[in-house]
Amino acid sequence: MKNTILTFSLLVFSFSLCFAQQPIPAKPETKSILLMNGTVHIGNGQVIQNGVIGIKNGKLVLVGDATTIKLEAGAYDTTINCFGKQIYPGFIAPDCSLGLVETESVRAQTDVEDVGLLNPELRSLIAFNTDSKITPVARINGVLTGQIAPRGGLISGTSSVMSFEGWNWEDAQYKADDGVHLNWPEVLHRIRINEDELGGYTENKNYNRQVQVLTKFFADAQAYCQDTKHDETNVKFEAMRGIFNGSETLFIHADFVKEILAAITTIKGFTIPKIVLVGGRDSWMITDFLKKNNIAVIVRRLHSQPGTPEGDVDETYKLPAELQKAGILFCLGTAGDMEQNATRNLPFLAGTAAAYGLSPEEAVESITLNAAKVLGIDAQTGSLEPGKDATLIISSGDALDMRTNNIIWACIKGKAIQLTSVQTALYNKYKDKYGLK
Amino acid sequence: MKKILSTLSLSLSLAISAVAQQTMPINGTHDVRHSYYAFTHAHIYQDYATSLDDATLLVKDGNVVDIGTSVALPKGTVVYDCKGKTIYPSFIDLYTSYGMPVIPADKRPHKGPGPQMNTITPGAFDANQAVRPQDDAEEIFHASYAEAAQYRNLGFGLALTSDHDGIAQGSFALVTLADTNDQEAILEGKAAAGYSLNKGSSTQDYPSSLMGAISVLRQAYYDATWYKGAKHKTEYNLSLEAFNELQPLPQIFAVDGKLSALRADKIAREFNVNYIIKSNGDEYELLDAVKSTGREFIVPVNFPDKPNVQDPYDAVMVNLTTLMHWQMAPLNPGAMEKAGIAFALTADGLKDKNAFWTNIRKAVKYGLTPQGALKALTYTPAQMMHMQDKVGSLKKGMMANFIVTSGDMFKQGTVIYSNWIKGCPNQVNDTTNVDLRGNYTLTINSNQTYTLEVKGDVANPTATVLDAPKHGLAAYIHVNNPMVTISFRSKFDSAYAIRLNGLLSSDNKTISGTGLDGTQALTWQAVFASPMGPDTTHEPVLTIPTLAQVRYPFQAYGRTKAEEDSIKKVSKEFVIRNATVWTGEGDSALLNTDVYVKDGKITAIGKNLTASKDATVIDGTGKYLTAGIIDEHSHIAIQGGVNEDGEANSSNVRIGDVINSEDISIYRSLSGGVTGAQLLHGSANPIGGQSGIVKLRWGVLPEEMKISYSSQFIKFALGENVKQSNWGDLQTVRYPQTRMGVEQFYYDRFIHAKEYEAAMKSYSALKDKSMDAPRRDLQMDALVEILNGQRFITCHSYVQSEINMLMHVADSMHFQFNTFTHGLEAYKVADKLAARHIGVSTFADWWAYKMEVMEAIPYNAAITTKMGIVTAINSDDDEMQRRLNQEAAKTVKYGGLTEQQAWRTVTLNPAKLLHLDAHTGSIKVGKDADIVLWSGNPLSVYSMALKTFVDGVCEFDRQEDAAMRLEIAQEKADIINQVLKDPSKNMAGAPTGRRRR
Repeated sequence: MKNTILTFSLLVFSFSLCFAQQPIPAKPETKSILLMNGTVHIGNGQVIQNGVIGIKNGKLVLVGDATTIKLEAGAYDTTINCFGKQIYPGFIAPDCSLGLVETESVRAQTDVEDVGLLNPELRSLIAFNTDSKITPVARINGVLTGQIAPRGGLISGTSSVMSFEGWNWEDAQYKADDGVHLNWPEVLHRIRINEDELGGYTENKNYNRQVQVLTKFFADAQAYCQDTKHDETNVKFEAMRGIFNGSETLFIHADFVKEILAAITTIKGFTIPKIVLVGGRDSWMITDFLKKNNIAVIVRRLHSQPGTPEGDVDETYKLPAELQKAGILFCLGTAGDMEQNATRNLPFLAGTAAAYGLSPEEAVESITLNAAKVLGIDAQTGSLEPGKDATLIISSGDALDMRTNNIIWACIKGKAIQLTSVQTALYNKYKDKYGLK
Repeated sequence: MKKILSTLSLSLSLAISAVAQQTMPINGTHDVRHSYYAFTHAHIYQDYATSLDDATLLVKDGNVVDIGTSVALPKGTVVYDCKGKTIYPSFIDLYTSYGMPVIPADKRPHKGPGPQMNTITPGAFDANQAVRPQDDAEEIFHASYAEAAQYRNLGFGLALTSDHDGIAQGSFALVTLADTNDQEAILEGKAAAGYSLNKGSSTQDYPSSLMGAISVLRQAYYDATWYKGAKHKTEYNLSLEAFNELQPLPQIFAVDGKLSALRADKIAREFNVNYIIKSNGDEYELLDAVKSTGREFIVPVNFPDKPNVQDPYDAVMVNLTTLMHWQMAPLNPGAMEKAGIAFALTADGLKDKNAFWTNIRKAVKYGLTPQGALKALTYTPAQMMHMQDKVGSLKKGMMANFIVTSGDMFKQGTVIYSNWIKGCPNQVNDTTNVDLRGNYTLTINSNQTYTLEVKGDVANPTATVLDAPKHGLAAYIHVNNPMVTISFRSKFDSAYAIRLNGLLSSDNKTISGTGLDGTQALTWQAVFASPMGPDTTHEPVLTIPTLAQVRYPFQAYGRTKAEEDSIKKVSKEFVIRNATVWTGEGDSALLNTDVYVKDGKITAIGKNLTASKDATVIDGTGKYLTAGIIDEHSHIAIQGGVNEDGEANSSNVRIGDVINSEDISIYRSLSGGVTGAQLLHGSANPIGGQSGIVKLRWGVLPEEMKISYSSQFIKFALGENVKQSNWGDLQTVRYPQTRMGVEQFYYDRFIHAKEYEAAMKSYSALKDKSMDAPRRDLQMDALVEILNGQRFITCHSYVQSEINMLMHVADSMHFQFNTFTHGLEAYKVADKLAARHIGVSTFADWWAYKMEVMEAIPYNAAITTKMGIVTAINSDDDEMQRRLNQEAAKTVKYGGLTEQQAWRTVTLNPAKLLHLDAHTGSIKVGKDADIVLWSGNPLSVYSMALKTFVDGVCEFDRQEDAAMRLEIAQEKADIINQVLKDPSKNMAGAPTGRRRR
């Protein structure tokens, strides 16, 4: 077996020649790979300045300090010298809709929200489009895994965690049907003065009725799920079984503090083992409550405006630091306006969180291991620890800073993936046209 | 029986006309009364400034015959002894819709499916449905007893009325509030003309925005002038006829806030008219600017209900502006008086008209003088109507409109007994009522003894009965002289209430009579024992704020005048020492460099610069100094709509008319190092509106935000938005609906503009102006400016074909095209753009939200830069605007620009695209000190702006910001504490923010 040593100039060169619009899923990797001398961000808050990573059969078999680990010559088929490079676990985007929506304004390309208020039976899994032109764009910035969630209604549907690599959704599934998404009714509606101006807040007059609809649904579903056989099957209730037996997580979307308090208290009453709060704009006000109830948070897109005019200018940016300080498990979300594009900016949300109070490694953790924990996939992925999937990225600089983020190599389950997209193809096409370098 | 009752109710009217000459047939016998009426021994206000003690007012046939302290009463005078009473001229409300028909919501003409491009008003009226000067309130006025009584009970005698519908609203009628027929009620059929910036019931799409409404009104003025001057009218236009006819009348302009008051003033200056501005009661927030308009005002006392802040979490959502306005609104009338602004008061805007006097008295408590209040209710409105010699005072020969009251109207507890209009009385409260307030010994059946306490208002007293152990028992009392009704329960658990009816003795000291305790008859009497003690009901004392607390803007993070002054002082001259300076001019950073600023300009760049002793020194060690960020494509700080989408061409509308200097986004953008922006019209039409190019000066007037040396710009747009692809299935009516139509629309409008200009030029060249002038068209004016290189286009654009097309349109029309904004496929035609020196202002990485952006690539900016095109990165988004430094950094990542090139995409390049680069956009001696001190490399996600200077004034400072957060939290807590002390029952239903204006 020939031992190849690759440098990045070679690797990068080979990719720039690739004009393919859509990356082709990689073939199974038969060779073992050793990543040498890179700065390894484990994802659990630790960093190894001069690290080595060994990959075999899609798994991490070795993660350690190059200065202390002894390697047998020829133990790996390929060695990649990562000197001066930054190595991270692949970033994980919770609560996104890649693969469900291709072009937001085109109905035919939107499969994210169905008719009705209570739709736990909708499964994102089977609609996930592995031929999407958007996911490759997210991969180029280091986002390799995502929780794909339906939207809308009071109960939107059931999400699945998908790998951003695969020939079809069966290939791409990482954790099928990981949880159900509940949108807690708004206590207050934001007043829109017109299309462009937001005003203050007004009472949601239907709040109590909406809560009643929800609580009745949960009560009926809970009762139904106590039995496995029914003369008449209710697919909505069947879709709730995992929530009650703890095999799935209930993701409660709420932002205003009163909504969070009401939602968690009410839903806890149905003895649901796993609850995660999504959004959580005001979660910093009630950290004791969240801690007491053991609630993790998927923090709403940090790059958003404070909820009130007098909100601190950095109110949204410093939220992760507040949760970190309070010892609450959290990860960063990208949902919101134009979220198809937003997912690729996930690492920069972590960068912002670091600028406003998280330590650099805590920031990495907030889009890697923390996300894996929140989604219940931390046994397999989320950090660079032996035994876990070899899903990682190598950046020539700090990947959380848009100034230096430059992913030059990445693998998912040990398979090196193509870092190309329709965008890089167009770039190359027109660079060529104009003879630009 | 029925018949008798209805006859009775007719003759019950007290207001029997003194005027015999009327057209109404008399059913029955004539009952005309030419009596003299004398009101003697009263305290009489002849006018707002003068009052007479122990005086007499003599009235006959609806007019004042005499007034004074020694008035001789002619034989046959009906005398009213008004000892202890006060008489005022009755009040005049200039902003009512009294007697106007209410169009029920479901009877309004509905918007049909799809857009309504043209007016649906039948007749030869204006092209815009909201321009309706032909409407006359006198034609739809119908006197209403109940509505009039509501106003009379407050002391009003006259009202100016209209349905206030539309932008040009037609004439208002001045009517009396007497209980009379319509013919007599109307004093002046066409007393004033009304305007607003609200299109009212118009169902036409245009105008859909505030700036559109301003344009509609401006065009109406130009059209009216043109119409008036035309000898050979090309059309017959009843609206324009009416518009011209109404010009000599008082012109009333209603606005919904202080910024629109300034807008109305601007229109008044353009057309040399004088508006009386009906405001929304927030003038105190911009008092100097309001005063400098020199206009008169009609001011409401619609002080806001207290916000709902009981729940601490709800209170978070009640913004500081709402809280401050709740606390300060009662200052407004007093502040206007002190500032010397002429104003009348109106009851308009009160949800409950009965709150009028509560609020007037509150305003007096907050600094309005009683004399000022009386003037604003009497003399000033009369003067505004040019009727001060007829109404508003009580002088010989003037109309006998007055109220008889129990005393000083501006004191708590004073009541109006009667309201006389044209010499006819209307009873408000029972004049025969006696003051029963005091403590009584109440004896029932000579064996039960209680104490009866009567307190409260003279007219509406309240009672408490105390039993022997002095337990207070709530009691009911009703006085209808000479009869008195009292009921109470002798014990809390009594089976029956004791109900008493009695008669008042002639000395008013004893009430006696019979009653029932269940079915048991009883006798009773109450004997006056002692006068009412001091009012022990404990009214919490609310802190009265002062005008010095007003923040500019009236918003969180606004500064008081004192704070503003101190910032200006330290900003006058300063030096930032030892920073890493990215001038934006060269290709490398200047290390350990000083930058000197004086009077808002950069005066020196170098090492170890000598500083004068007055200069503030700011340590820049370890920090980066750059020019401020300029956003070529911003929609912040725009009020009343970013799009005027009613028509495909809206070149007449101007963002500059609707700048909202109070938008918190200004402050937030400053916190991200942004110092300038082009405030753009939206992309709803091929030809959009004119831009507002501003610096982010915080706490100044909208006009003061504008950059004086900037060129004029206009927004164009292409693609899906202008052809309404994503507007829903109904929006398929407006031309153009295809990219083909867009091209032809441009050609047509530009060709037409050329013809328009030629016509205008040849007319102005004429010596003999006997020929009719061409009609001035605001839309064409803007297009002519483009053709002449006086106005520049920034065009929202996506795909290459349409970019290419518009370049050809510009070529063939021979004007220099300026900027493709977004220009997401500019990279596909970069060579063509470069050849024409056209700039690009694009997103760093947006795509995938609609079809036309599916080939948008983040490498766009790098390609166009490398092709020699002046390229900027813009935000088009409030949130992104404050992180434009990070967006610029993405051009390093995508396409490999150098850091200096990247930085120029948000500073010097947008300055070039906006033609501001001679003055700002880089750090260069002589340029404006629009500079930012950063904590680190400004392109890094980890860096933040520490200080942002605009014209040398430190508009954002991270340390000051930290202090202000504490200050704001404290201020909110203090005001909330006041809200919780406020005993008033009215409370807003849910936490609400005040409408941003």
